[in-house]
Amino acid sequence: MSTMLEVKGLVKRFGGLTASSNVTFAVDHREIFGIIGPNGAGKTTLFNVIAGHYRPTAGSILLEGRKISGNSSDQIGRQGVARTFQAVHLFHEESVAENLRRAAMISSCHNPVAYFSQRGEKVSAKVESVSQFLGVAHLLETKAGGLPYGHQKVLGIGMALMTSPRLLLMDEPVAGLNPSEKRAAGTLIRRLRDELGLTILLVEHDMPLVMSTCDRILVIKQGTPLTIGTPAHVQSDTSVIDAYLGEDYEFA
Amino acid sequence: MILQMIINGVLGGLMYVVMALGFTLIFGIMRIVNFAHGEFYMAGAVLVMLLFGQFGWPFFAAVAAAGVLSAALGMLCERVLFRKLVGAELPGMIMSLAVSIILQSLALLAFGPAEQSIARPFDGTWSLFGAIVPWDRTVVAIGSVVILLAFYAFLRFSRYGIAMQAVAQDRETASLMGVEAGSIYSMSFGIACLLASLGGALMAPVYTVGPYIGSLPMLKAFVVVILGGLGSVPGAVLGGLLLGLSESALATTFGSTIALIASFIVVLCVIIVRPSGLMGRKGT
Amino acid sequence: MRKGLLAGLLVLIAAAPWIVKSGYVFHIATMIALTIPLALSINLTLKLDQLSLAQPAFMGIGAYTAALLTMRLGVSPSLAVLAGGLLAVVISAVFGPIFLRIKGVYFVLLTYAFGQIVNLVFQEWTSLFGGNNGLYGIPRFSIFSHSFGETEYYILGLAVAALFFFVMYAIERSDVGAIFQALNEDEMFCRSIGSNAQSWRVAAFIMSAFMAGIAGALYAFYIGFISPDSFGFGATIDLIVINVIGGPGSVFGPIIGTIVVVPLLEFLREMRQYQFLVYGFCLVFFIMFFRQGLVSIFERKREVV
Repeated sequence: MSTMLEVKGLVKRFGGLTASSNVTFAVDHREIFGIIGPNGAGKTTLFNVIAGHYRPTAGSILLEGRKISGNSSDQIGRQGVARTFQAVHLFHEESVAENLRRAAMISSCHNPVAYFSQRGEKVSAKVESVSQFLGVAHLLETKAGGLPYGHQKVLGIGMALMTSPRLLLMDEPVAGLNPSEKRAAGTLIRRLRDELGLTILLVEHDMPLVMSTCDRILVIKQGTPLTIGTPAHVQSDTSVIDAYLGEDYEFA
Repeated sequence: MILQMIINGVLGGLMYVVMALGFTLIFGIMRIVNFAHGEFYMAGAVLVMLLFGQFGWPFFAAVAAAGVLSAALGMLCERVLFRKLVGAELPGMIMSLAVSIILQSLALLAFGPAEQSIARPFDGTWSLFGAIVPWDRTVVAIGSVVILLAFYAFLRFSRYGIAMQAVAQDRETASLMGVEAGSIYSMSFGIACLLASLGGALMAPVYTVGPYIGSLPMLKAFVVVILGGLGSVPGAVLGGLLLGLSESALATTFGSTIALIASFIVVLCVIIVRPSGLMGRKGT
Repeated sequence: MRKGLLAGLLVLIAAAPWIVKSGYVFHIATMIALTIPLALSINLTLKLDQLSLAQPAFMGIGAYTAALLTMRLGVSPSLAVLAGGLLAVVISAVFGPIFLRIKGVYFVLLTYAFGQIVNLVFQEWTSLFGGNNGLYGIPRFSIFSHSFGETEYYILGLAVAALFFFVMYAIERSDVGAIFQALNEDEMFCRSIGSNAQSWRVAAFIMSAFMAGIAGALYAFYIGFISPDSFGFGATIDLIVINVIGGPGSVFGPIIGTIVVVPLLEFLREMRQYQFLVYGFCLVFFIMFFRQGLVSIFERKREVV
């Protein structure tokens, strides 16, 4: 199994504050990889560095062998990586179908030259298939702003899918969802890998989701990796349990 | 020679600091770019031309009166025109442009387009280690220093000054702590206009007085403030002195237009490297 | 449909010079037509949520380039006009990426300073640009040695204005407009799906500089005389007033604004001193009470933002 994403010795400092240090891990193709850690552990910073919002202070990030560390977020977006957001980023006034169409359009027309060389895009077929896959085909004409929160998050995933990514970065995908929505999300994430062949890297607080969905998990504490392994391994690791003492977490 | 350049630079720089301070004050507190700032400089000069030049008031009395009157005008503008636009940067800018052209037109209608000289209250020069220092520029420099010190004392030690700093940093928290924003806005606008008009008043006898004399000081204030960072007082001081010194150095060799173009290029470079200016706040 | 009414009105206004058959009206109409690309130019930068005060500088660059090429090198006017636009494109391509790194207030200040500096260059480089006296005796515009008369100037101006209007209209209604809107509302999202926001912004800036440059070049040939005065602060104010009165929201705004303001300017030509006074009060009025501009009269009632 080949490597999709490789992070080597990553360090991120903001002035005097070290948010991440010595982070090394690799994500295989078609793997669902989770990053967890207590509050303030630096998960979000790590995520944002991988997504290109910050430049690493040291270390490197490789996407299928090619260096992407130091690339901007839009460059990374064009290299087959898409991300979802914790907060909802939608075109609230437009329909679901239009939201999906726009995502594809904005992505393919990434600069004016690309805009003029695009002609005859089969976007509508893609809108159909993505919405079918996500089970929102019946909502295509609904205004995005009028959707319930859970559906909005699904639409967010849909918009990322419209860019045909190979690697999907998910930032707290189940934040704000109720338990049944969370279960549905877990199923969806697995389907993204099983049916669409995506590799997924997610950052999450929700333990049941992470433990039931991820193939492997990286635990971070205060910016440094604590352990990395399968859910079973992580759950039985005493240092991990120690790190979470005092926090209100259920492990499964 | 070098000393002369430095002295010229400091003399010029001090005036730029005075101009830049008022400008940066309004932006820091109200997030409004005051395009009319130069016109308050002009108003100060015009009032001195009237009071000192025509009515024969003593020079410093005329300067003080010019400052107070302009400050009052500024506070009126703030209350009527700018109060509602706090935080709305674009409309605020356009409104200040409007005020600027109205003031210019009024001056034009009242006094005509030609620039006029007024009698010089201070003549002659003195020498400092071989460098020649004109008395009128010296007065301006001393005046500028006095103004700057007074301003600093005000910010540091007076209740209003401290409140102003609070509002500049965080409007919401400041209002939660009982600082009433409205009066702070009036005060800052008034002080900014006071600074600009005192600058114009002091400079009135040095060059000439006319409706358009505010544009160049305004442009200089921009450059200083972009260099030093919008909203930063230390930045305005640093930027002003830097601009004064570099202008002096370049102007002696190449002429003042080249100096201005050079300072613009420097500004561009600063923006590329540090968009918030040398000392500005990130995200400003 | 209100927009249809507006379109009809505009066609009528465009035809007015032939209906009224007055040389003076042709002149005003030509001035309106020549100013429209400039107004659209600023409007385009407003689409990026930025206000560029550099447009008069690009106008001047276009004007001086075209005038000098024709007068000194005998280049034909149509080529000279294109060259003027092209130089504006080149200069905006150099400075645009720098200016556009910064947002809001700094951008306005920077473009303002740029405009003033370019104007200073026009004033000080007397050997090339003629200094404050400007350039006299720019020949009439001509194609294939046919010199343009009054009617032909108007048709040319109208054609160029219409061309740029339709380009802007297409931008507004097409996906390009949607992209600009998305970039303004949510740049982070757009970039996360691969959109090169900076390239779009620079492209818009270059396009707006092109429009200003062409307008400047045509202006040079029409008036026959240019000086730094025509491209300075006054021009900036004109354009701002036009956009504020017309309304920044739609591409029709600058059109309406130009039609309203340019005749006003001509009317006040005798009373130049009052011109800016009137401008100032108009701006104050519109900013305080009528920020959507005149174009909002023709739009469907919307909720006030």
